[in-house]
Amino acid sequence: MIFARVTGTVVATQKDPNLNGKKLLLCKETDHAGNPLKTYHVAVDAVGAGEGALVLLSYGSAARMTDETRTAPIDAVVMAIVDDVQVEHDAAPAKGGR
Amino acid sequence: MKLGIVTGKVWATRKVKELEGCRLLIVQPVSSDRTPVDLPLVAADPGGLAGAGDVVVYVTSTDAAAAFPGGLAPVNASVVELVDRIA
Repeated sequence: MIFARVTGTVVATQKDPNLNGKKLLLCKETDHAGNPLKTYHVAVDAVGAGEGALVLLSYGSAARMTDETRTAPIDAVVMAIVDDVQVEHDAAPAKGGR
Repeated sequence: MKLGIVTGKVWATRKVKELEGCRLLIVQPVSSDRTPVDLPLVAADPGGLAGAGDVVVYVTSTDAAAAFPGGLAPVNASVVELVDRIA
């Protein structure tokens, strides 16, 4: 899972029928503190995340492992809305990444 | 399966139902002598095994879902073992 900030929505009228009714979010990858990194993802929303929210995003085949996305041709899903991140034990300078 | 040290946790009240009751941890991958390698990642802890400072074994990719009952969960990494010692 990676941290991402919802920066917008993607609207598409013509799409694969298995994507009907699914909200597509434009998400910018961040580090655990919410600082933006370079990568963008288009992800299906499985939790009702709004614009500006810090979320967790699953990618790859794991994205299809929710009831809502089982049959959909997708490779990214927003599966949690982050309330808070607590780093208690500093094993290394945590900088960015997944 | 890889070694990591739990450095923190992620609080998320709203999540998909497959992850209800499951803790989400920040894990720093380490080598066998506990030196950090690579970047930290977020891993699910379906067994409620670990807390901050613990050394754990985690799995990634498709296998991460296998740590959940029923084998279905939208996760990229799961903690599967709490390490007591490395001999």
